[in-house]
Amino acid sequence: MNPNLIFKEGRFKILLLMALSFVVSCTSTTVDEFRQGETGISGDETVVVLGRRQASDYETRSEFIECVGDKMARGDNALNIIPEQEFIDAMFPWFEPRTAPLRTQDLAKLMSEDVVADKMGEFGIRYIVWVDGFTETSGRTGSISCTVGPGGAGCFGFGTWEDDSNFDARIWDVGSFTNVGTINTDASGQSYLPALVIPIPLIARVEANACSRLADQLKGFVNGS
Amino acid sequence: MNKHLSKIALVSMFALFLANCGVNNVVIEGRFPTPNIRKMPVYVAVLYDQTLRDFSYLEYTETGSEEFNIQSGASHVELFNSITPAMFEQVIFVDTLEEAQIAGVDAIFAPAIEEFQLALPAKTKLDVYEVWIKYNMRLLTAQGDSIADWVLTSYGKTPTETFQTVEGAINDAAVVALRDLASSFSLSFSDVPEVRDWLDQQ
Repeated sequence: MNPNLIFKEGRFKILLLMALSFVVSCTSTTVDEFRQGETGISGDETVVVLGRRQASDYETRSEFIECVGDKMARGDNALNIIPEQEFIDAMFPWFEPRTAPLRTQDLAKLMSEDVVADKMGEFGIRYIVWVDGFTETSGRTGSISCTVGPGGAGCFGFGTWEDDSNFDARIWDVGSFTNVGTINTDASGQSYLPALVIPIPLIARVEANACSRLADQLKGFVNGS
Repeated sequence: MNKHLSKIALVSMFALFLANCGVNNVVIEGRFPTPNIRKMPVYVAVLYDQTLRDFSYLEYTETGSEEFNIQSGASHVELFNSITPAMFEQVIFVDTLEEAQIAGVDAIFAPAIEEFQLALPAKTKLDVYEVWIKYNMRLLTAQGDSIADWVLTSYGKTPTETFQTVEGAINDAAVVALRDLASSFSLSFSDVPEVRDWLDQQ
């Protein structure tokens, strides 16, 4: 057989797989915004994005919070974002899972403490964004088996699962101690793992899409657009 | 003779290997920030007993064999070393009651761990590692008489993640529990009725 033809066939298969992965691993994302007050931010003011960690059976992952913060700090209308851990450590012990304010009235009470108000002032915090949610994996089906023999190794089978991310972001105005809005992001997608000699992961980037869409929406919301 | 000795050495090494292979040692390590709170105008000695310094917890499998040995004594000492100077105007770390008396302190603070619990996802079927610790906090006069004696609990959890080891997850959950202890201890100290009365007298 012509080696060029084999090479071309191989390249064709890779392209086909890439196209297939693009088609099958897509994610659908829905963003809902509920505005309760006017927003806007000046150049010297900052925003902090914090994860809620009060629930007993899950907690908002710090990696997701970092992703949202990073995306809000880049691109058009970028905001000054204080990293979550830096803020929590600096405010210690007032923003730990058990002591963090759950309502805006709690924040007002907290700000009556001089040490808290001074630290908030140092950071220049205008908005606190509380993000609460998680990604759930369900519907795992299929199986893949791999074998190693004297002639080589290989896998055969098929696996699939669904990821569903749901995150709520509540935006608190530190100036007026009010909740100025809520943004909900729901993303879902089906991932596939076919294995024909080698496993080919076709992963739906559900949480990454949820992060990206939530960050864009938050950026627009805080800027008042 | 040499052959006999090497046989004994080999068997001993194998026995040692079998005895150790079941337990995973986890030494808790973490960062503990200094609390941002108003200092209380008192001079306090902090006394750690050897039980607290060497504290470790053994978690067993469902079949009764040792699974994890969690050593958190050093991290508890580090935590209290970090929070007490932020809580009290003047702090001294002592090894005995006599040392505290000589220093002329207002009170001696002696924490103790009463209970430690670990919940693993394999057993709870939840996607989180959990650590729960129960403390007995004791505040004594310089002479060693009790001022206050109260129980404090702390809780920490961390979600299961694909690329994290079980040891790493246990460490993270324990560090969250220690931070929880630091926050509730530093914020609730003056709310303990006996402590409040004592502070009023100072």
